[in-house]
Amino acid sequence: MAAIRNILITLLSFSSLHHGEAKTDFSHDIVPILRKHCADCHLGEKRKGGFSMNTRADLLSGGESGKAVSPGAAKSLLLDLLTTKDEDDRMPPKGPGLSPAEIDRIRSWIAEGLSWESGFAFDKPAYEPPLKPRQPKLPPAMSGRTNTIDRIIDSYLSQRQIPLPGEISDAAFARRLHLDLVGLLPEPEALESFLATPAATRRSELINRVLADDVAYAEHWLTFWNDLLRNDYSGTGFITGGRKQITDWLYRALVNNKPFNEFVRELIAPTPASEGFINGIKWRGNVNASQTLEVQFAQNVSQVFLGINLKCASCHDSFIDRWKLEEAYQLAAVYSTNKVEINRCDKPIGKFAEPGWLFPELGDVDANAPQPLRLKQLASLMTHPENGRLTRTIVNRLWHRLMGRGIVHPVDAMQMEPWSADLLDHLASHLSDHNYDIKQTLALIVSSRAYQSRALPMPAEPDARAYTFSGPLTRRMSAEQFLDAVWQITEAGPSVPDVSVFRGRTEDQADAKANLHGMWIWSYPEGSQSIPKAGETITLRRQLTLAERPELAAGVITADNEYTLFVNNQQIANDNFWPSVEVVPLEAALKQGTNEILLVVANAGDKPNAAAVFFEARLKFADGSEQVIATDETWEWTPSVPQVKRETASFKKTPSDWKPAAAVENQSFLPGKVRREISSKISQIYAAKNHFVRASLVKLDFLARSLGRPFRDQVVSTRPENLTTLQAIDLQNGEILNEILVRAAKNVAARDLDADALVEWLYLSAISRPPTDAERKVARAILKDSPGNQGIEDLLWILFMLPEFQLIR
Amino acid sequence: MNTESETEFEKETRREFLTRLSAASLATMGMGEPLLHANADHPPIEHPAPKADTCILLWMAGGMAAPDTFDPKRYSAFEDGLEVEKILSTFPAIDTVVDNIKLTKGLEHIAGVMDRGTLIRSHIQADLGSILHSRHQYHWHTGYIPPLTVAAPHIGAWMARVLGPKNPVIPPFINIGQRLEGVGEKEEIKAYTTAGFFGTQYGPFNLPYPEHASKSVRPPEGMQPGRFANRFAHYRKLVDASPHREYLGDYRQESMLKSMDDAHRLLTSKHKDAFDLSLESKESLAAYDTGRFGRGCLLARRLTEAGARFIEVSTEYIPFVHWDTHENGHITAERMKSEIDRPIARLILDLEERGLLDRTLVIVASEFSRDMMIEGVPGSNARDQSRARTDKLREMKHYGLHRHFTGGTSVAMFGGGVKKGFLYGRTAEERPLVAIENPVSITDLHATIYQAMGINPKTAFDIERRPFYATLDGLGQPVKDLFS
Repeated sequence: MAAIRNILITLLSFSSLHHGEAKTDFSHDIVPILRKHCADCHLGEKRKGGFSMNTRADLLSGGESGKAVSPGAAKSLLLDLLTTKDEDDRMPPKGPGLSPAEIDRIRSWIAEGLSWESGFAFDKPAYEPPLKPRQPKLPPAMSGRTNTIDRIIDSYLSQRQIPLPGEISDAAFARRLHLDLVGLLPEPEALESFLATPAATRRSELINRVLADDVAYAEHWLTFWNDLLRNDYSGTGFITGGRKQITDWLYRALVNNKPFNEFVRELIAPTPASEGFINGIKWRGNVNASQTLEVQFAQNVSQVFLGINLKCASCHDSFIDRWKLEEAYQLAAVYSTNKVEINRCDKPIGKFAEPGWLFPELGDVDANAPQPLRLKQLASLMTHPENGRLTRTIVNRLWHRLMGRGIVHPVDAMQMEPWSADLLDHLASHLSDHNYDIKQTLALIVSSRAYQSRALPMPAEPDARAYTFSGPLTRRMSAEQFLDAVWQITEAGPSVPDVSVFRGRTEDQADAKANLHGMWIWSYPEGSQSIPKAGETITLRRQLTLAERPELAAGVITADNEYTLFVNNQQIANDNFWPSVEVVPLEAALKQGTNEILLVVANAGDKPNAAAVFFEARLKFADGSEQVIATDETWEWTPSVPQVKRETASFKKTPSDWKPAAAVENQSFLPGKVRREISSKISQIYAAKNHFVRASLVKLDFLARSLGRPFRDQVVSTRPENLTTLQAIDLQNGEILNEILVRAAKNVAARDLDADALVEWLYLSAISRPPTDAERKVARAILKDSPGNQGIEDLLWILFMLPEFQLIR
Repeated sequence: MNTESETEFEKETRREFLTRLSAASLATMGMGEPLLHANADHPPIEHPAPKADTCILLWMAGGMAAPDTFDPKRYSAFEDGLEVEKILSTFPAIDTVVDNIKLTKGLEHIAGVMDRGTLIRSHIQADLGSILHSRHQYHWHTGYIPPLTVAAPHIGAWMARVLGPKNPVIPPFINIGQRLEGVGEKEEIKAYTTAGFFGTQYGPFNLPYPEHASKSVRPPEGMQPGRFANRFAHYRKLVDASPHREYLGDYRQESMLKSMDDAHRLLTSKHKDAFDLSLESKESLAAYDTGRFGRGCLLARRLTEAGARFIEVSTEYIPFVHWDTHENGHITAERMKSEIDRPIARLILDLEERGLLDRTLVIVASEFSRDMMIEGVPGSNARDQSRARTDKLREMKHYGLHRHFTGGTSVAMFGGGVKKGFLYGRTAEERPLVAIENPVSITDLHATIYQAMGINPKTAFDIERRPFYATLDGLGQPVKDLFS
């Protein structure tokens, strides 16, 4: 429609314009010809072969085949293509082509200098987003709504006469806030105390409290960044060493809330810990030119940080935006340590790319600098204070997460027009003005009335073209939010994560490292250090008296080569692979009074070789006090080995020859990473109490896949919003969820609540509100219809399947 | 004036209509559901009339050696000291019911049904350098070579997306026999066993163990049907009891509930019996039961009868196991043939007997062939991965085709409108055993399969504002000679 309007305007205004001596009348003679024959491929947003005639500048700049035409030129590619007899080359490729009269008119027009209506474009020029940051002038606050986002949005809504969306209740706010910022549900007790604090400040206090939970925050946003940075714990490429994780770096960056500009710099000009992102994914064998590592680099860096899709332009000049093949390769060349030959659609064009970046107006990389320096330069350009595209792209992603739709949408198409440039620019400036502190921008958003509004019930998917903001949209829980919520309520999640990261703040990590108490021990007689025999098997023991049962107790253990751990003769764990350090829960086996820990350990090999065992446990008591039990020289050993029946140990004859164990001389006889692993796992004992294992820390399984967690072979910026039938089948009969429910019901039953209290507690836990009478009645009926744990299992399943549970509103 | 304003009015409403239409289309795109690609360059494509309604792909995972199966060459029996470079086939040729088609010993049952189908001997694959099976499997199953900027859909997902389910209750894309956990290269296998950017709605319904398939459509282990139904009934009651009435018509809530309903319908419908092999007669089970693959063929037959759209049955890819013969190839091929021969032939006959073969396209294919000497194709930089390197045969483990070969592979096709008793393409009689007549690329083979199923090979969907085609760049050409 815009095109027609433009043409009408041109035609109407034509009479008042002068055309000098030109015989050709652009508007009347040329526009209709171009529109008739060229529109499908070269007008408006179309630029087939990189060639557009939408504006005079476009026409003159030519396409992939070079210059098409110059003013006054007698010969030109354009004319050649219009007039050639070769059906394969002729333009337009379809239909009979231009008539001789039309060709004459074009010929004269070129000869006369390609006259053009000033400012005319065939279609409204595609929106070109600004690059530099901008501080929009904020409208005055309305009705005391002073949050800067609200000042923009209230004015936006009132201009469009759109009513303000309704406010959400405190409880709904608490639920949404927890899910959005830390990916968890508010605990019923926390919810109750929140609702009891003074109304005026309760929301802002909650925001601060939730954002201050660094670990929960990191473990939630880890998912967002893993998706964007293609970081995963399993997936394609690892098998042939063609992929590297950045988990540890990413976790630390999030838990320490690394400023976003530094974060980006370290990803683009990386350390070994963060290099996995730019190094991409390589499969064995030869790859297509558009998927070499340097091209992956160009694609991923531009998509993730700038919302630019270079996937088109890495094969040919883009048909859909302004990016050209050469520009994609220039960015690729920044990364490459070799000369990069430009390939068009997998065929070399005989030209090499000079390293360069996409917005030279901010400066450029030095093409002659070595690669590490070029990457540093690129990192500085990307995080240049004048690069508003970086900040706009990230705040738009955050807004999308929290509000259900981007200010620019889709979020990877940042060349599109935002529905409110003021809002986008304000958020972007807010981020850079606050030292690139993502948490502050999140706090600004969640403090706004706009965020604290009811999600709009929608009869259909919102209109993409004519979208107008009128309130937050409903979102589906991510796979991780769903699993975390289930595990949080039922404690039925995995006991150890699949990734070995220190689950805490960096300060705590230092503490945990400093505080390793255990030693590697074996049975050496005093003073001697003979090498243990192959297959030597001994029993080590430690007795302890506890004044009360600990609230939390867990140990970390590994042995060279094999161990079986018993607490009060009950078998707790067994393993024979020293690189794998296990965390074992102990509280169930320990009791008030005297306790005995036995370690049956064995050496392997076919000749004498080093052997040792390491065990360290932390016990926490109700009064907050702690106790450490660790292998050291207070342990005793005997060559007798107990019999084990049904996981219970008993000595045939009680040994009477217990002798002191000895610390092995070389305490670092195993690779350093084992010790680091031990520290990391000990820290998890503490994390275990406050931070159960989160879904972001475990490998992708079928259930998580059913819930929409992607393979991270490609950059993923949005998850599927709808539940599909195949996924619904998995939720109704999938083994993994069913096993979780069985464990969950057991744990919930152990709370020993009567039916009413149970229903009340589950509703508060799962959907942050008490049940209505009608709901209570149905829920009670479920418990009675299948009594015992089965009833609880069924009720849990039902609650977890409710739209009110799975949808964030 | 009246006429003119009426015209104006008509224009206006049509314009509104178009705006609405494109808005709705864009909306679909926004939620990640790709749209059928159509514009001036690509007018709405017309699909060919389908010759088949169901497609069964019998997948010989790991690289089935054509010279030891469907394309016999000069035979050399095992003999101590025999120079390996003289060996082409390690099985003698046998006759089939079609005069000019020979197979190798061990495929006698299939030899008996060759008059029901077409044998292509000139299928070729791309040279991807050093061979990673899963990368070639990805190429074969999607038509695209990884890594890729978008996740490519499996051909089964294309059928699910374009054709939809044949019977609305039976998932349109069923994948039998391949475990996705607990096997090597599992991440790579998973990467192509998906609907890619189409979204999981069109993804595979995975049944790694055919004998346990019925578990996948039953209530969870240990839950009686009564309890299962009761649980769902109470679920719907609690949905209805929610005090949040304002979201009753919300599309996101509605779509979630609809998926839950549809899933429940399958899990409680009579159609789920199609997944249950225990309902087969003893004789029938015995006729197929050469192992997991054989049982998979039987399951494929039951699901075809029930109205499945696309079924893959795999011999299962496990690195260095089954068809992936890096050593001891002859003995392994002998075993593999004994596992596939009877059930494949029986499947063809059973489908025919039930009047289903004409409308079912059955394909027997593999990611590439094997050769005694050449890794990849002549001139490839692929690394030699044989585990039984020797110049002369010394022991049995040396005897077999231990190198991956992409220059000439056999594909058998039955039913679905393909010619009967027809031989297409040819490989050289002497090494290199490359296709020397009518080579058929993966792209063209897919175009042929799509053609039979009624899908235009130029079909494209827009993803990230770019067209993504059913066959590479929309260039796949069906091999017309194969159709009767």
